[in-house]
Amino acid sequence: MKTFKKIILVIIVIAFASCVDVVDVEVQNGPTRLVVEASLDWEKGTAGNQQTIRLSESTPFFNTGTITEVTGASVVVTNDTSGDVFVFADQGNGEYLSTTFEPVLAQSYTLRIEHNGEVYTATETMTPVTDITDIFQNREEGFNDEELEVHIVFTDPEEEGNNYLFRFQREGDLLPGLEVGEDRFLNGNEIDWWYEIEEDEDEHIDPFQPGDILHIEMYGISRPYYDYIKILVEQLGGTGLFESTPVTVRGNCINETHPENYAYGYFRLTQVVKASYTFVEE
Amino acid sequence: MNRRTQLGQTAKSTVWLLLFLLGCAQAMAQESYTISGTITDKNNGETLFGASVLLGGTTIGGITNEYGFYSITAPAGEYILRISYMGYNEVNMKINLDRDLKNDVEVSEFSTELDEVVVTADEPERALLGKPEMSVVKMNMGTVKQMPVVLGEVDVLKSLQMLPGVTNNGEGTGGFHVRGGAQDQNLVLLDEAIIYNTSHMFGFFSVFNADAIKDVKLYKGGIPARFGGRVSSVLDIRQKDGNNKNFALTGGIGVISSRLTAEGPLFREKGSFLIAGRRSYVDLLLKAAGEDNSVSFYDLNLKTNYAINPNNKLFLSGYFGRDAFKLGSSFDSSYGNASGNLRWNHIFNDRLFSNLSAIWSRYDYDLEFAQDEFEWISSITNYNLKYDFKHYLSDAFNLDFGANGIYYDFDPGEVNPTADTSPVNPLKLDQKRALESGIYINAEHKLTPSLTLQYGMRYSAFSRLGGQPISKYANGQPVVYNSLLGIYERGEAIGEEDYAKSETIETFGNLEPRVSLAYLLNENSSIKAGYSRTAQYIHLLSNTSSVTPLDVWTPSGPFIKPQLSNQYALGYFRNFLDKVYSLEVETYYKTVDNRIDYIDGSDLIGQNTIETEILNGEMRAYGLELLLRKNEGNFTGWIAYTLSKSEQRTLGGTAGGPGINDGDWYNSAFDRTHDISISGAYQLNDQWSFGTNLVFQTGRPVTYPNGQYVYEDLSIATYAPRNSDRLPAYHRMDVSLNYKPRKYQNKRFKGEWVLSIYNLYNRKNAASISFGQNLETGANQATRTAIFGIVPSLTYNFKF
Repeated sequence: MKTFKKIILVIIVIAFASCVDVVDVEVQNGPTRLVVEASLDWEKGTAGNQQTIRLSESTPFFNTGTITEVTGASVVVTNDTSGDVFVFADQGNGEYLSTTFEPVLAQSYTLRIEHNGEVYTATETMTPVTDITDIFQNREEGFNDEELEVHIVFTDPEEEGNNYLFRFQREGDLLPGLEVGEDRFLNGNEIDWWYEIEEDEDEHIDPFQPGDILHIEMYGISRPYYDYIKILVEQLGGTGLFESTPVTVRGNCINETHPENYAYGYFRLTQVVKASYTFVEE
Repeated sequence: MNRRTQLGQTAKSTVWLLLFLLGCAQAMAQESYTISGTITDKNNGETLFGASVLLGGTTIGGITNEYGFYSITAPAGEYILRISYMGYNEVNMKINLDRDLKNDVEVSEFSTELDEVVVTADEPERALLGKPEMSVVKMNMGTVKQMPVVLGEVDVLKSLQMLPGVTNNGEGTGGFHVRGGAQDQNLVLLDEAIIYNTSHMFGFFSVFNADAIKDVKLYKGGIPARFGGRVSSVLDIRQKDGNNKNFALTGGIGVISSRLTAEGPLFREKGSFLIAGRRSYVDLLLKAAGEDNSVSFYDLNLKTNYAINPNNKLFLSGYFGRDAFKLGSSFDSSYGNASGNLRWNHIFNDRLFSNLSAIWSRYDYDLEFAQDEFEWISSITNYNLKYDFKHYLSDAFNLDFGANGIYYDFDPGEVNPTADTSPVNPLKLDQKRALESGIYINAEHKLTPSLTLQYGMRYSAFSRLGGQPISKYANGQPVVYNSLLGIYERGEAIGEEDYAKSETIETFGNLEPRVSLAYLLNENSSIKAGYSRTAQYIHLLSNTSSVTPLDVWTPSGPFIKPQLSNQYALGYFRNFLDKVYSLEVETYYKTVDNRIDYIDGSDLIGQNTIETEILNGEMRAYGLELLLRKNEGNFTGWIAYTLSKSEQRTLGGTAGGPGINDGDWYNSAFDRTHDISISGAYQLNDQWSFGTNLVFQTGRPVTYPNGQYVYEDLSIATYAPRNSDRLPAYHRMDVSLNYKPRKYQNKRFKGEWVLSIYNLYNRKNAASISFGQNLETGANQATRTAIFGIVPSLTYNFKF
């Protein structure tokens, strides 16, 4: 289902040898906003005490170079039930660190940031994840049935409403690949999730080769975060003719001082399982 | 006032109106006689729609209807009956109107060559000036066939887009837009059957095979009362009846597809048939090239008719078209329209013509995902019964009236696992049923020789039928505004109400007045004005930049209200320089209430509760259209210019909050500020002719990024307000060359070569521009997709 609009475009390109090229375009300049990357991810089987929150500012679209780090902010996370407070210490490089965080599944937490006299808050619940039961490689599936793809096998829990975020990072690649999933059509089933990298000659991207090392992360995410990250992922490669009109995605960080001055990014609390896979010669 | 009394009152007032009109008509119709009959083409027996029939020396006359029928009533006396139709020899016959006369006339074409050059887009202008019909485009198939086309496929829809007020959403997208309206606001009829998807291959070609089509009429406004159900336009396409004189074969061999049409007489010239087929062969070429992916289409048009006696004629027509596309072994899909129509023309008497139609049509698609082991199917089917009358009461007064009922069956989607090992669970979205009905009456009333009025009323009703559950939401809100985050979210479902098949979920009714007038200023110019109100009860759900064949129709109901449109138009029409040139200027203003738009992040795929994804909004559009034509001579053609605006506003309404785009008006995706189209044809001699198109359009409104931020080690784009940017301007030039070898002339077999070059100067017109990160450098970049560069093509057409 996730792919059929893409398929239409692929066919048009094949059938009519239509032309795709990079062009210069002028774009508008929107307001600069605080960006909150507060991803408190608890890797299964670890204590999860050490967590980092990153703060930065948005920039014009075609700006390249360093990101604008935000320092000097006060960052605090509170357990909404026990009232335990975890202070994230400013590292002076846009990162704020806590080594005492205590993750509890299904627990609600609140984030509070004070920056330039404005207060931002967000509330979110820690969401569990199921285990990966198998990882293997194959060629037949995927968009291209001659290239390698990786398969991740897991069993969706029986109760409905499980949402997933996958992050794939091949060693040597600059950018990670993100995918999202839900159990709407698949609830309670054993799921075989495949991931393939398409060749891009212009940008020097090869499909998976034997010897490639792939880091895989599977996150259990809340429904509101799913709604957020799904649009974000859909819009990543840009939106074409047969895709929805792109929108600015609003996260869960509210500006208590000036509501219209909301922050980008998200305060998420997830459980994550991580694995690595090395592709082999068949 | 409750709905029942409203209905009752409407019925009552309609009856009064009818009685009143009949009364005045009777009073005027004394001591007159009627001449009536059918006008046909001498060569092939095709009835002619829109031929002008006049009594010489008077202003008494009329125009043939869709079945070639005319009826004129005049005081007793001797007259010259003058029959004219563009491209045909004028017929003048002496008649003595001392009793009611039956008079069928055959007229012959100027030339009997293949695809004769008849670049006059209409019936004679002198007839049109005084007719209160405005905002109408009628295209002669001769004109359509002469225009340069992409890949050699003659395309009715693309030709229409060369006229003012008609655009598309860019190359490679289906359908068309009329006066800033959406694609689903067009009622497309092929021999009266509703066609839901007008394009093959995602919009590259139209589903209408030019060889099987007799004529095309597009109502951009001033929609006659006999049509209803869409708020933007009506495209009325009629198939040929088939040659009832001789057996004939017509065909063409092109780059993308080939076609063949067979037609001939049946039942000793009492009937005729036509079978037309067309098939693409890109798939065969792709296969030969070792390509796993494939795309193909075919269509089949059928028509037959039989004249039981001079007063009763039966027609049976059918259309079947299908597209298929395939991606390797993993994905297979097909979609298409099918329709059938049985019609009975009955002439009660020389002044009362009737047609009864029983029509069926269906659109469906089927996707198969081999890897994931499931298929996805969806369809819409309708059954339509329609009875139309035309009463030629007097030379100054004609009446149309009739009724129709359409039963719809919507099957929005069904997921079926195709193997036991499939990870996908079966799912069926709620099937929906509805009944749409309408009654209408319309008068064409010549008040004075220079002032003609057309006034009518349509009453439409729509019942959403039971047989499905309807979700209930907390506080009755399927969409809720989250004021903390400033976003619209899906409402909380708190249960369902089951409706039995015998129950009605919701009923709507609307009165739709249609009024227009034509005032002749002098022999060569007139002004016209019109107002029409139209209602639309079914909606195409699409939140993408371009409509796709996989979008689903949905009926009005508890959450989606019928779209209601008011359109006002004013026009000036003039023929000059001996009627060789004509000028048409029209302005319009139109509003549409209850136009839905989609909340940010809406998800329509497999969505059972569409109401949680939408907000009710409104649309408005206004513009100025200019059309200057040269109708006669070796050089013919036109310049069309449209200046227009089309906007949407979607307020929060019961969901609360400001609405989409902060509740401000925003450009609709169909807004084009400037649209200039120039089309010309030059007939050098019997053998050679040339054609050209020039098009310039303001770029389509789109949404571009207005910033970025880093998240998950990726650059995330933030976007400017909805549709606040534009693609670069669209322009191109096409040329075509027709060559008819001399050796074929005056022979039964006729052949013709058509060379056409689309986009001659190879402009890379952006179909879309998308934004993303370069995977190697990480820098943001804009990527343009252009569909057609320069496309030359060669087609061979033949006929014998």
